[in-house]
Amino acid sequence: MPSENRLHPLSFLFHLGGQLQQLVIPFVLVLVGAGTAGVGSAWVVPFLVVYALVAILRCLSYRYRFDDSELVITTGFIFRNERHVPYARIHNIDAVQNIAHRALKVVEVRVETGGGDEPEATLRVLPFGALAEMRERVFAGRTPAAASAPDAAAPPRPEARTLLELRPRELLLAGFIDSRGLVIIAGAFGLLWEFGLFDSAMDRIFGDAVNGRGLVRQFFRAVAGGGLPPLNRILFAIAAFVVFLIVIRLLSMGWSFIRLHGFRLDRIGDDLRAEFGLFTRIMATIPLTRIQTLTIREGPLHRFFRTASVRVDSAGGSGPRTAAAKRESLAPIIRSSDVDRLLREVLPEVDFAAIEWRPVDPRGFRRALKAALIFYTALTVPFVLMLKWWTFALLAALASWAYFDVKMHIKHLGWATADRAVLYRSGWLFRQLTVARFTKIQIVTIGESPFDRRHRMASVHVDTAGASDASHRIRIPYLARATADDLFRRLAGEAARTSFRW
Amino acid sequence: MEAALTSAVPDGTPRQLDPQFIAFQRVAGWIFTAFVACGLFFAAIVVWLTAELPKWGNLLLPPAWLAFSAGLAIFCYAWPMLEYRRTSYVLDDRGIEIRSGVLWRAVTNIPRSRVQHIDVSQGPLERAYGLGRLVIYTAGTDHSRIELPGLGYHVAFALRNHLLPRGDDDAV
Repeated sequence: MPSENRLHPLSFLFHLGGQLQQLVIPFVLVLVGAGTAGVGSAWVVPFLVVYALVAILRCLSYRYRFDDSELVITTGFIFRNERHVPYARIHNIDAVQNIAHRALKVVEVRVETGGGDEPEATLRVLPFGALAEMRERVFAGRTPAAASAPDAAAPPRPEARTLLELRPRELLLAGFIDSRGLVIIAGAFGLLWEFGLFDSAMDRIFGDAVNGRGLVRQFFRAVAGGGLPPLNRILFAIAAFVVFLIVIRLLSMGWSFIRLHGFRLDRIGDDLRAEFGLFTRIMATIPLTRIQTLTIREGPLHRFFRTASVRVDSAGGSGPRTAAAKRESLAPIIRSSDVDRLLREVLPEVDFAAIEWRPVDPRGFRRALKAALIFYTALTVPFVLMLKWWTFALLAALASWAYFDVKMHIKHLGWATADRAVLYRSGWLFRQLTVARFTKIQIVTIGESPFDRRHRMASVHVDTAGASDASHRIRIPYLARATADDLFRRLAGEAARTSFRW
Repeated sequence: MEAALTSAVPDGTPRQLDPQFIAFQRVAGWIFTAFVACGLFFAAIVVWLTAELPKWGNLLLPPAWLAFSAGLAIFCYAWPMLEYRRTSYVLDDRGIEIRSGVLWRAVTNIPRSRVQHIDVSQGPLERAYGLGRLVIYTAGTDHSRIELPGLGYHVAFALRNHLLPRGDDDAV
């Protein structure tokens, strides 16, 4: 019988820490309440002691052992619980190391199976060496069971191959390029400004001459009143905005540097292993077979620096509702010239060089333009009162923008089918390209709106597992009806022919 | 039962829903109409009591209420027929294909190999009409749950038995 393993002796510290984190808010509330009631906070101490005891007991009772085909975890002194996790069901063994973990040379290990969003088991914490042992034991019998049968004859311990390593310079670049989400902060900042939170600072800098509050409001009022605000005020607003953008980018760069520090992506057998983080180090495993879709993103800045970013939607699960979907970054930033090499490793069955992109139906342009023009016209209606006849100038400007935008949009829509995958790309400023292997297609839908019907067109939608709200979906619009039907038949046939494995 | 079984033969020909579905939908629609009409009726009374409408406004309230309710009732009578005509399913060895939608039409193909599990459900009103709905779950994101209502209850079971994954491949 294999010997039982215990957690690291200092585990209770981390358990305690974890519980304290959950308790911080209740404790603060209790303390505040107690303070006002005139009772000392000393009575909180017994709670702490009880918690510490519970944590110690829990850690002492926690055992795990490697049986022939399963990982067995037993917990509890009074209520004993034994959990059997078959190796074949284990998708991932992820590990997290924050600063405290690293100082003590321990690691928090998460054993993930398909079911549920929560890890099947969290071993908090193990000595660092135990992680390697666990991986070896669990994944030892993995090779023949893996989906790609031809590799079954491969040696049992395949060597690690580094696919991507990011240097600090590239991390900073990634942060510089990819500062989405901070737009929200910018909005919040502007709002605060409008409501006068920065008044005192403004006064100190500019004296009473400039009152920062309501700059935009003043601007609009001034424009509506037929005159422009003083030039210095406009310049100031622009300068502040630029400074703010720079600060945002710098923050984003710093965050990227900390979070992705020492980013490394390895391929070990049929698994990808990503490792990153300066303070909290994350070691994640993504089995190649669990990759549902792969998306290459490329914004204007990416193109300027000749780079791109690569993400995958991975999912594992035993039921549709419980499938733990994850969007994982394979490459926060990668040189455009290296993308092909990465794709060859990650999706070996797709030959990217042989792909022939097909455009959507050119008639889509007129339809999209019509929709855009209606939208922009509706948008300008409220300005009629303010701009009078100048509304037409605004409309003309918007219309020419719409023309250009729609033209580019339609031009950059494209789809393709390879031997074993379907590809879709969209966007002209922010381009995204998504690949879904036939084996990962769940459902294919052909949709026809009344407008589609009028133009004898249709759209094809490919549904895959594990897509998040932000994922780039394969939803190909503006296809000629016959083309759409062919594509639909082909994809549905391919999906039916193959069997789906998580 | 005989008829039910033949409806689930995987022969690849389009099949329509149970005609009872039209009657069921109409009754369901009228129940909905009754609720809406009641709600609007009370809302109209509140408006009549509290708001100071001009005289013609007060006179307009009852006919407006009547027109809206009647319109909704007529719509609930007409729509199920359109929906019935536009909905069909094709069963073959590889899976099921559902066409649906009157204005926005869609054909959804669900391969048998992607079916996770299937429910057959039946509400009280559906029971009265002998109808059942097939609910197919897949691992997908946008279509993780696909409903096919308006089947004969036994047909739904026959479809389920045909579509459920065989035990030959142990997924996950």
